[in-house]
Amino acid sequence: MLNETNRPILDAILDELIPPSEDGKIPGAGALGVAEFLPTANAYAPDAAGSVRTILDAVPADFVALPRDEKVTALKRVEAAHGQAFETLVRLTYMGYYSRPDMRPHFGVGAHPIHPLGYPVARESDAMMDELTAPVRARGKVYRDAR
Amino acid sequence: MQDDPVDVLIIGAGASGAAIAWSLLETRMRILCLEQGPHLEDKDFPSRDDDYELARYGEFSCDPNVRGLKQDYPINADESCITPVNFNAVGGSTINFLGHWPRMKPSDFRTHSLDGVGADWPVDYETLAPFYDMNDRNTGVSGLGGNPAYPDYTPELPPIPMGKLGQTLAKGFNEKGYHWWPSDVSILSEDHDGRQKCVNAGTCDLGCAAGAKGGTNFSYWPMLENAGVELRTGARVREIRVDKSTGFATGVLYHGPDGQVHEQRAELVVVACNGVGTPRLLLNSKSKTFPDGLANRNGLVGKNLMFHPLTGVAGVFDEPMLGHEGPMACSILSQEFYETDPSRDFVRGYGLHSGRSTTPMTYALGGYGIDNPIPWGAEHREIMDNVYPYLAGLTIVSEDLPEEHNSVTLDSDLTDSDGIPAPKITYKLGENTRKMLRHGEERAKEILLAAGAKKVLSKNDDKVWWRAGWHQMGTCRMGNDPETSVVNGWGRSHDVKNLFIVDGSIFPTAGAVNPTSTIQAMALYIGDSIKTKIETLFD
Ligand SMILES: Cc1cc2nc3c(=O)[nH]c(=O)nc-3n(C[C@H](O)[C@H](O)[C@H](O)COP(=O)(O)OP(=O)(O)OC[C@H]3O[C@@H](n4cnc5c(N)ncnc54)[C@H](O)[C@@H]3O)c2cc1C
Ligand code: SF4
Repeated sequence: MLNETNRPILDAILDELIPPSEDGKIPGAGALGVAEFLPTANAYAPDAAGSVRTILDAVPADFVALPRDEKVTALKRVEAAHGQAFETLVRLTYMGYYSRPDMRPHFGVGAHPIHPLGYPVARESDAMMDELTAPVRARGKVYRDAR
Repeated sequence: MQDDPVDVLIIGAGASGAAIAWSLLETRMRILCLEQGPHLEDKDFPSRDDDYELARYGEFSCDPNVRGLKQDYPINADESCITPVNFNAVGGSTINFLGHWPRMKPSDFRTHSLDGVGADWPVDYETLAPFYDMNDRNTGVSGLGGNPAYPDYTPELPPIPMGKLGQTLAKGFNEKGYHWWPSDVSILSEDHDGRQKCVNAGTCDLGCAAGAKGGTNFSYWPMLENAGVELRTGARVREIRVDKSTGFATGVLYHGPDGQVHEQRAELVVVACNGVGTPRLLLNSKSKTFPDGLANRNGLVGKNLMFHPLTGVAGVFDEPMLGHEGPMACSILSQEFYETDPSRDFVRGYGLHSGRSTTPMTYALGGYGIDNPIPWGAEHREIMDNVYPYLAGLTIVSEDLPEEHNSVTLDSDLTDSDGIPAPKITYKLGENTRKMLRHGEERAKEILLAAGAKKVLSKNDDKVWWRAGWHQMGTCRMGNDPETSVVNGWGRSHDVKNLFIVDGSIFPTAGAVNPTSTIQAMALYIGDSIKTKIETLFD
């Protein structure tokens, strides 16, 4: 599906869907290589490949060369004309991007598979618990008798 | 093909099926459980994979229509604002449930007498209390004793950490003078009974690879299999059969993993297929004696479907809230607005749950239970970098009142992979619920601001979460009057005297709490009733 001609266009589209951070430390979805995830994404969207093709066919041929604001305008036009395919591409882009373990730490989440390590979180001390719950206990019973 | 007859045949190896099997162990009857799904192995839990979040949108989605696995049955929810979600395997929906473990409250069992809505239960809180305790011991429950929102009881294990998010929200509730309490959870805060404590991974819907969550695959089933309960997986029941001369159930026809249809005979049949699967099976069990479906002489099978409709409000705080660290749905629970207050424009009430925040992919795709991706482009970057890490939210979980037009019927075209007609859901949000949710959203905003949120995000529309059909209740309601209920006060069908139902479909009303501790307490109560009435069980 992807070739030397359309891959740069797809990368440019993806970099608009999830752009890089301003300081350049967090890559956009195109630079990250999310395009490689898309052809394998049929498990998550019935017509993943078809949707990608629809969007590639709909953007202007010179998309890569457009200034950023014109890229966004072009994509908004494509979104209005091909709502379903565009939404599929957006969803799959998010999946491809955030399933990358190296992206998670940028949002404060561990890169590791979540089990078996999880996260070390300490239980609140008895003193803290007593202090926090004191006003609630002081009010007393808040349920209704049913007899 | 015919299999050897058994004494007790349980259909469904989830929360309720496991609990009643345990209760009946001491009778030494031969117990067989038929389960359409598999027994998951350690390697099947996706949270050990690098890209674990993807599983939520594929084979570990909570939505059977998304998973589409052989053991799943599709559900037509085109005429509903909420779609039912579940899991079909040994453990049932406790495989992917979130372990929130509140009990129902005394008033929940008496809504008709107290508030003139719904129906009173034939059992009350006091009767059920020892069965809640028994079930908690078998499951492993953590929490803080002394909650003023309940008659006194103390969970066996200390609470799980509330975390920064829970502590922050608790301060907001205190500021407003509202009730809150650390959540009771069926999640181990300490190593217990040979099982490992929770590691705060936050992906409880992906099956808990640690075994810390009280799914019956980790709690009841190891005990049951050791005790000799026979479990047949990949066995999907297509119909329960009846003897037309006696009107008793004789057993079932099921599709086995060998692709063949088998007959399994039994003295006593227990249905434990969850609030959608159970009416579906009964409606599919048509005969000359029961042309409209088994145990359905009064036409109430499938009627009065209740969920817990919900919506959420989130606050953006100054510091990262670390909401992904800790069990996904459980930190603190407020029941300030749970009981009826005549000064409000609705009856009954709701809980305010502090779920934790979810992982990045799920947030970007709209949140757990929602299908509405956040914007793309520069706004996307802004939200993920400067909003997502700073979020703490409250979910409004409302009581749903029983209404006959909310129902499970059979779809005229859709079938599962064995060709068995699939369920169709017809469900509309009641006006009382709408008012409750609006009230809850306003209170949640105030609490978040009082907790220090610099901004509050809410949808300002009337929509409830689409994939919030995790609690399915009411579709075979219990009651003393055979004209207005499907099963009697101890779970036995009014029409078929050796047929029992033990899942949430027997709830006459829904309360506003997660139902599983009550479902299992009821299953234990029904098991106990069977044992005490054994001499006259079928009279
Ligand atoms: C995502 C999610 C989160 C949840 N979170 C919570 C929570 O935090 N707290 C809480 O209290 N509850 C929660 N729940 C709800 C909880 O999981 C259910 O209330 C509980 O599992 C219901 O128990 P059950 O025995 O009725 O059904 P289940 O546990 O669903 O078991 C039913 C079993 O029957 C089997 N079955 C159905 N039909 C057939 C058939 N024809 N033949 C053979 N087998 C069949 C199914 O495969 C399934 O294994 C959640 C549910 C989900 C899906
Ligand atoms: S957070 Fe705890 S309960 Fe949830 S999956 Fe991880 S270990 Fe299990």
